[in-house]
Amino acid sequence: MLKVYLGDMEGEVYNPPVYFDNQYEDEWITDEFAEKMISDIDKSTVVSPHIIESPFLGAITPKELSGGVKTLILMKYDDSGNIFNATACGDNCAKWILKIAESKDLTVTLHHGMRFGEGPYEIMIMNTGKIVHNRQEWLDVVFDYV
Amino acid sequence: MKGAYELTVQNKRIHYQFTIKRNITVIRGDSATGKTTLLEMIETYSQNGISSGIDLKCTVPCIVLHGGDWKQRLSYTHNSIVFIDECNDFIRREEFASEVKRSDNYFVIVTRDDLPNLSYSVEEIYGIRMSKQYAGLKKTYNEFYQIYG
Repeated sequence: MLKVYLGDMEGEVYNPPVYFDNQYEDEWITDEFAEKMISDIDKSTVVSPHIIESPFLGAITPKELSGGVKTLILMKYDDSGNIFNATACGDNCAKWILKIAESKDLTVTLHHGMRFGEGPYEIMIMNTGKIVHNRQEWLDVVFDYV
Repeated sequence: MKGAYELTVQNKRIHYQFTIKRNITVIRGDSATGKTTLLEMIETYSQNGISSGIDLKCTVPCIVLHGGDWKQRLSYTHNSIVFIDECNDFIRREEFASEVKRSDNYFVIVTRDDLPNLSYSVEEIYGIRMSKQYAGLKKTYNEFYQIYG
């Protein structure tokens, strides 16, 4: 399930892209799920753990991936227990956050009203303990906190 | 500073062209639209000039502000356009807001966070998109668009 803490949280990783640059592992990049996220968000193709082909930038390394994809990869693979700031992700990453949370309990912070779409989905608002299931329920709570 | 400033930033692959009209401009939008790439190009140019291979045209200096020494750098930056990338948490502090208020610089802030301490026009919130005018060319031409326009 996806658990979202709205607003500042003590100890959160506020800048996930920088964390990613110093912590990512080669195996994360070449995993099929990561390759799909990189293809969808960055429109780029993983060639090897160290080379990604971008239609805009040419051959890049994982450090030149978008901040959104870096944060998604951390959410999927990092097992440090750190909580990542999902506001580093654009709305085009929202469906991937929900997908990642289908296979694990994923806790993130949010500092803006991300658009998760119409739903249905299950997102626990950690500030209240309430679970929201669709866009309207999400909107009813999110702007009380961000 | 007063008035509008036109910027062109380009290298062999990417071209950005936009106009900054007010003292605070916010850039947000989807991931992978080129926000961080723009700031990296500006920073590389500000550190290396024409040796960077980047062509930046603007009538005032452009710098990128980040990290723990932001306040010190800002104290000796004047009549410039100051770019700040997302995930720099100092932009949410009251201390930063008060520095902005008394500054003679323009600020371009990449963020999805609300910035309640700063007053800026909803018309000055932009995304970045590929320009349709140049679609299909080898180089990618990017422009700003008003998100709430």
